[in-house]
Amino acid sequence: MGGLALCVLPLFAQGNYEIQVYGADTVAPGTTMVELHSNFTAQGQRYVIDGVYPTYHQEHETLEITQGINDWAEVGFYVFTSEQNGHGVQWVGDHIRPRVRVPNSWHWPVGVSLSTEIGYQRPQYSPDTWTWELRPIIDKAIDRWYFAFNPALERTWHGPDVRQGLGFAPAAKVSYDFTKEVSGGIEYYADYGRLFYFDSLHEQQQQFFAASDLNVSPDWEINVGIGLGATASTDHLIIKGIIGRRFSWHKASPVD
Amino acid sequence: MNISGRADYTVEIGTHSLELSPRTTIKTLCYNGEAPGPLIRLQSGKLVTIDVVNQSSNDEVVHWHGLFLPSNIDGATEEGTPLIGRGGRASYTFTPDPAGFRWYHTHTFAGHDLNKGQYTGQHGFLYIDPRENAGRYDAEVFLGLHDWRGQLLAADDGSMNPFYDVSTINGRVLGFGEPLRVKQGQRVLLHILNSSATDAHWVALTGHHFEVVALDGNAVPSPKSVTMLRLAPAERVSAIVEMNNPGVWVLGEVRKHIRAAGMGIVIEYAEKNGEPQWQQPETLVWDYAQFAAAPVAPAANGEAVELPLVFRSKFTGHGDMDHWTINGKSYPHTDKLILKQGQRYRLLFKNESSDDHPVHLHRHLFELCELPGERSTRGILKDTVLVPANQQVNVEFVANNPGATLFHCHQQDHMDMGFMMLFQYA
Repeated sequence: MGGLALCVLPLFAQGNYEIQVYGADTVAPGTTMVELHSNFTAQGQRYVIDGVYPTYHQEHETLEITQGINDWAEVGFYVFTSEQNGHGVQWVGDHIRPRVRVPNSWHWPVGVSLSTEIGYQRPQYSPDTWTWELRPIIDKAIDRWYFAFNPALERTWHGPDVRQGLGFAPAAKVSYDFTKEVSGGIEYYADYGRLFYFDSLHEQQQQFFAASDLNVSPDWEINVGIGLGATASTDHLIIKGIIGRRFSWHKASPVD
Repeated sequence: MNISGRADYTVEIGTHSLELSPRTTIKTLCYNGEAPGPLIRLQSGKLVTIDVVNQSSNDEVVHWHGLFLPSNIDGATEEGTPLIGRGGRASYTFTPDPAGFRWYHTHTFAGHDLNKGQYTGQHGFLYIDPRENAGRYDAEVFLGLHDWRGQLLAADDGSMNPFYDVSTINGRVLGFGEPLRVKQGQRVLLHILNSSATDAHWVALTGHHFEVVALDGNAVPSPKSVTMLRLAPAERVSAIVEMNNPGVWVLGEVRKHIRAAGMGIVIEYAEKNGEPQWQQPETLVWDYAQFAAAPVAPAANGEAVELPLVFRSKFTGHGDMDHWTINGKSYPHTDKLILKQGQRYRLLFKNESSDDHPVHLHRHLFELCELPGERSTRGILKDTVLVPANQQVNVEFVANNPGATLFHCHQQDHMDMGFMMLFQYA
């Protein structure tokens, strides 16, 4: 599972709504995955800039609902919200995210999928109101190690960055299975700016999360982490949590 | 080809292309260019010589599953049978025993390479005719269930497990190849083998029943008519089907996704045609106990020495297969149990894992004594028994065939990851 990454929203308006590196698997057909992403920006942008609210002490709650279509496709929907002193609970925007993956029958040595995400966010939370993302996903589990890489491309359809063209926003994850139930590792999220014409490091967004996955059941997904911004343009401290539950809509039969 | 000039059978191991379906041809190791390999039919008690020629690029060995053979030719290197090197050959001379439906297959390590070992087409039927034929049937058919093109994928248990693209009966997917042609009123004796590297299979024949007469080639005390069969890896079932329902039917895997992957064969009555019919059962049903002898007092042949064997898994990462232990140790570090010749032993299979295990004892037969739910049973002789997850099964055997004796789970991934143990005679 994955979703809108950290940096869909541009400078000074980070998209800390769904902080997750995608794995290549898709939700099984006849199954719905419901996830709640809770992200709190402990240290972030403190000022209103160009009408965009500051991220400092924003609490973001994102509901993600993903429906498995078949054994190689799914579609996800997002509802983004924000809570902050002085602004109350606000609806931020919605996205839709179809995704396809390489079927198991192709026997590829790594998991590969491709998602595309389109959506709207209110200008108080992002000056770029309509955005599009294309996210290739590659992952691999080797013994106790897990590796995932999401070299995402982003495009603004409406807003100040509409002429920027494609932006490059990679994300990556390395984790280690300490036990069957507990894995821990590093997640990396970045927005380098325009593809082939990266912003200066000062203006790039880069963030490292120490994160842990709790594999308590095939039906549940639990991820927690704490992230530190590595550049001046990145929110400096974010605490994140994801809890997800799979619901199967067909009665399990031993003869299926 | 006759290597030694006196061989009754020659088995040649080589890589061949097998056409499983019009869309699927695979290159795999097999015997004499086919999978299942040729039926080897022997006479009980009559000396036989079988030559094996290894034309593959691997060192290989052939295990004669279910036979009472000396350790040095039984076909497990752990017992002392030499590998047959690449381009090498071996000649095995033995007196076949016991009578019944046996089989032969590779017994090599595959590990993470799902193009080796039992994942390949190296398996074949072996039948030892009894001196006196007790059965009454009109036709005899051998059917082999197998899974192909495996890959390791994440499973619900949190570890990697083999999953397969194609499943076949006698090397063909359902609807491809010749149907099994029968006549009304015939009694057809089916000898069914599950040679899958890892998966159990349930099979049913729409419109018909199976009268189970033997398990693992050994006559059962109480033959019984059932609607479906379950065969764990390496298990065999011999059953008579009364062809009393003219039509065109499917004999196939009960589970839909495996039948869709190809595991089935068309049964066609003479002068009948049309689309093969399948009626989907709603449950999976199987119980060894229904073929047992009527309840009797415990065995009179001496006190059995109990040997508890506890099976557990060991997590080694979500990107790896589980490793396995017997009494806390993985092969080759498992304890070597020392057997006393003539002694009767009771093996207590305590499965403390969430996987089923089809465990196999080489060179001996054992008798099922206690099934899950503390149900006592007698009279069923087998060489492989499925021990369900988190359950216990007890069996008894007499140590009557001196020599190193391998005991292991017959799932290739489990035995490769430590689920083996060697019994030695004192």
